[in-house]
Amino acid sequence: MRRSKLLSMMILVLFVAAIFAGCGGGNQTPAPADETVKIGFLGAKTGGHASYGIETLKGMKMAADDVNAAGGILGGKKLVIVEEDHGSKDDQAASVTQKMITQGTVAIVGDPTTGFTKIAGPIAQGAGVVLMSAGAVGEGVVEIGDFIYRDTLLDKVGAPLVAKYLASELGWKKVVLVTSTNNDYSVGLSKLFRDGLAANNIEIIAEQTIQDSDQNFSAQVTSFSNKDFDGIVFTGYYTEGGLLMKEVRKQGLDHVMVGGDGLLAPVLWELGEDAVEGSMVYTGFAADPANASPKTLAFIDAYKAKNGGTLPDMFSAQGYDAVMLLVDAIEAAGSAAPAEFKETLKVTSNWEGVTGTISFGPDREPIKSPVYLLEVKDSEFSVKATIDL
Amino acid sequence: MEELLRQYMNLYYIQVLTLICIMMIAALGLHLITGVTGQLSFGHAAFVGIGAYAAALSNIHWGLPFLICVLLGGLAAALAGVLVGFPSMRLTGDYLGIATLGFAEIVRVILMNMDITGGARGLAGIPRETTLVLAFVLAAVAIWTMYRIQDSRFGRALVAIREDDIAAECNGINGLWYKVSAFAIGSFFAGVAGGLYAHFLQYLNPSGFGFAKSFEILTFVVLGGLGSIPGTVLGTTILTLLPEVLRFSAEYRMMMYGLLMVIMMIFRPRGLLGGVDLLPLLKRMLYSLRKKQTPLNGDGNGRSV
Amino acid sequence: MTTDIVLQQLLNGLTLGSTYALIALGYTMVYGIIQLINFAHGDVYMIGAFVGLTMVVVFGINIWAALFVAMIACVLVAMTIERVAYRPLRRSTRLAPLISSIGVSIFLQTLMTSMKGPQPVGFPQVVSNTIYTIGPVKIALVQIIILLVAAALMIALQLIVKRSKIGKAMRATSEDYDTASLMGVNVNRVISFTFAIGAALAAAGGVLIGMYFNSVFPLMGVMAGLKAFCAAVVGGIGSIPGAVIGGLFIGVAEVFGVAMGLGSYKDAIAFALLILVLLIKPTGILGQPIQRKV
Repeated sequence: MRRSKLLSMMILVLFVAAIFAGCGGGNQTPAPADETVKIGFLGAKTGGHASYGIETLKGMKMAADDVNAAGGILGGKKLVIVEEDHGSKDDQAASVTQKMITQGTVAIVGDPTTGFTKIAGPIAQGAGVVLMSAGAVGEGVVEIGDFIYRDTLLDKVGAPLVAKYLASELGWKKVVLVTSTNNDYSVGLSKLFRDGLAANNIEIIAEQTIQDSDQNFSAQVTSFSNKDFDGIVFTGYYTEGGLLMKEVRKQGLDHVMVGGDGLLAPVLWELGEDAVEGSMVYTGFAADPANASPKTLAFIDAYKAKNGGTLPDMFSAQGYDAVMLLVDAIEAAGSAAPAEFKETLKVTSNWEGVTGTISFGPDREPIKSPVYLLEVKDSEFSVKATIDL
Repeated sequence: MEELLRQYMNLYYIQVLTLICIMMIAALGLHLITGVTGQLSFGHAAFVGIGAYAAALSNIHWGLPFLICVLLGGLAAALAGVLVGFPSMRLTGDYLGIATLGFAEIVRVILMNMDITGGARGLAGIPRETTLVLAFVLAAVAIWTMYRIQDSRFGRALVAIREDDIAAECNGINGLWYKVSAFAIGSFFAGVAGGLYAHFLQYLNPSGFGFAKSFEILTFVVLGGLGSIPGTVLGTTILTLLPEVLRFSAEYRMMMYGLLMVIMMIFRPRGLLGGVDLLPLLKRMLYSLRKKQTPLNGDGNGRSV
Repeated sequence: MTTDIVLQQLLNGLTLGSTYALIALGYTMVYGIIQLINFAHGDVYMIGAFVGLTMVVVFGINIWAALFVAMIACVLVAMTIERVAYRPLRRSTRLAPLISSIGVSIFLQTLMTSMKGPQPVGFPQVVSNTIYTIGPVKIALVQIIILLVAAALMIALQLIVKRSKIGKAMRATSEDYDTASLMGVNVNRVISFTFAIGAALAAAGGVLIGMYFNSVFPLMGVMAGLKAFCAAVVGGIGSIPGAVIGGLFIGVAEVFGVAMGLGSYKDAIAFALLILVLLIKPTGILGQPIQRKV
């Protein structure tokens, strides 16, 4: 008797919760669907992934401003960015994706990391909404389904090219490989570099592992400090890259670092200062006035004007391109229905964005050309080599 | 049933409600360990993680039926729970909590470095099987089971250990056995929740089961009212909804979440429903309602004299 | 590994360990007095690093003055936290202030993220990059500074606790809260003072670490705090020399773990040690055995 009463209480509480949830989300008044086109931002504004999410969002907002300033989309409709923060948490990423879909977004841009994209992917695919990841480079992203895209330079293209360049142009024979083991991007890129370096007869004489958000790399550097090698291949992000090089210099070594576009941000020299001079980064996006296209230059200037003179990083540039790609596909299809503009998106070819030229291959994977090898010179990236596919 | 729900209900609400039901099962497990038996555990998310990975892997590699996978997840977590339960013989209070925290971090690092789990790249390709109806039914079953456990001889032994384990031992209660059992059962709940979570999110990453998650579950249990099942249910519901409800505050969202945690704790130090016995309260409410219709001899406060 | 490398790694470990020790002291003192695991302590350390950085970059003051300002700022922050979030809960269950401290921690982290952005900020080069070679070991000037400042602060702390009047009151309060109060010790003041000292040390740690690692970011207190907390427990929570020993022990163990190729298990090393020590000696290396009265 007593038990059953309490049990029914429980169920009551659950239902009250359901109503509460209903109220919590129900007070947003949806704008008239025929006057706006909504694109969602999926990413983190708080928590460990916040620095990538915030930058992506900045790029997306700039794209939306540009589109609206030029008269909107589909003959005068307003492009709206629906932004939600998943707080770098798996479960909230799923909720947020679902929420944006129920709010009528036709496409979602994000998440810049592979892990969260894999959470959002199946939800977007199931709901028939286009998901354009502005940064995911890992395996198994576009394989989720035909609504899933990404606009980044794939490392399986870039890493072997760079390895070949290191061997043939710079004459490297021995390297140290450093991986950030809690970073999926780094783990994947290291795998590609291992194969690429081996194919070009470059020997990895030592491997070291670090973790994202580590600040102290003295033990790792000391353990290869007395070895003979030509350079350091680091596959993680700019923060750890800058700090790692600082430690390398502190221990009296003069080697340079090579890495992927995870290193492509001003933070690299803000943290690394002189230590990252000469370090090399390969990317499909070059913020170098001498080589950049007018489109890229305009983006860099606009970004600098809005952010107190700091240079954009790859996340903001990819966020900008992701929105622009979607807008162009929607315009080409003449419709904001995901099932229709995903078809025009699929046949995008030689599309010029701020991060380079993008085409989608038959497997819907992005093909970006050329690959730039950038070098840090006087705290700025300058193009060291342009490698065409 | 699920189809019907998906037709008439906002999918976002379904998503959040399913998450609440799943987290509730995990929180009830911790309720048994910390709330009923009084053994501090700061590493509950590790059991959820073990369950999630075990269930997902047995589905992906062996193709077992979904519910069997969830059960396997629960059993794997229970096994880990037994392992963690043994140190509770030597460690008490905060020290046990710290040891469980250490255990959980080790589990996370191991998951991060194993090949079969996909390491930092995570585990994708898990089919979506968890539905709101299933999660709700299992949460209700979990609540009912928890009441059965607490009302049994076994449950009273656990409470005796919480109140005074030396006195309990003197009364012939084998402390170690009961503590280990509590850890095993509590972890089983966490493992089942993990299995549901894996088939709900379709993607697992070890960093999702770090100490932050453990403390989140602990907060559900303590803030709701330590040792109270309705408290655990309420705590889980409120604290899972809070980040969603606070979305209107944009970048101040998590700041408000933290602030509200402090405020709720200060105004209800024993938890929202701590020390509140719902049954008499409910009876009194019903009584005063009835009294309004047919005047009875009362003292005006609904209490009979 | 050759002897040179072993010695060099030992030095790396000691430098890292002494920063852990500075944070660990705050945990251990607060726990010793009110049995509270203050999870917001790691974030006080983070705030210290940010205040020090702001002082150097924006106001351009000397690093030692910045260190002093950061310590004062953190003392105020920690005393406010104690007054607002912990004092009302002093008579309630043990878990209530713990949850409250987690709330404070979330609040401080997101506050700093919204104020300063999530990106790590570089710490300016305030100490010259000189490297001294002593025998086979290379030691940077900043490492010498960290080791010396940490040692000086720890000795000062030990003197305060063992020799001064307030130190005596602290020891009395930690021995028996109620009796101390009956004997005329103003326990509220003692507890405030304990938080203040812990925060000052954490702030010093924050500035020193910012200087050494060259970066400061809002979530830097999370892992460092947890590791330092481990150090406090390994050394025997409540014991000041214990926190120092624990910090150095974990720092050295971590560095040698990485040197032996266990880099990807680095975070597990501290915790595995923790469990091992607890199983052998349940209250840590220098901890007092728990007296159980029946």
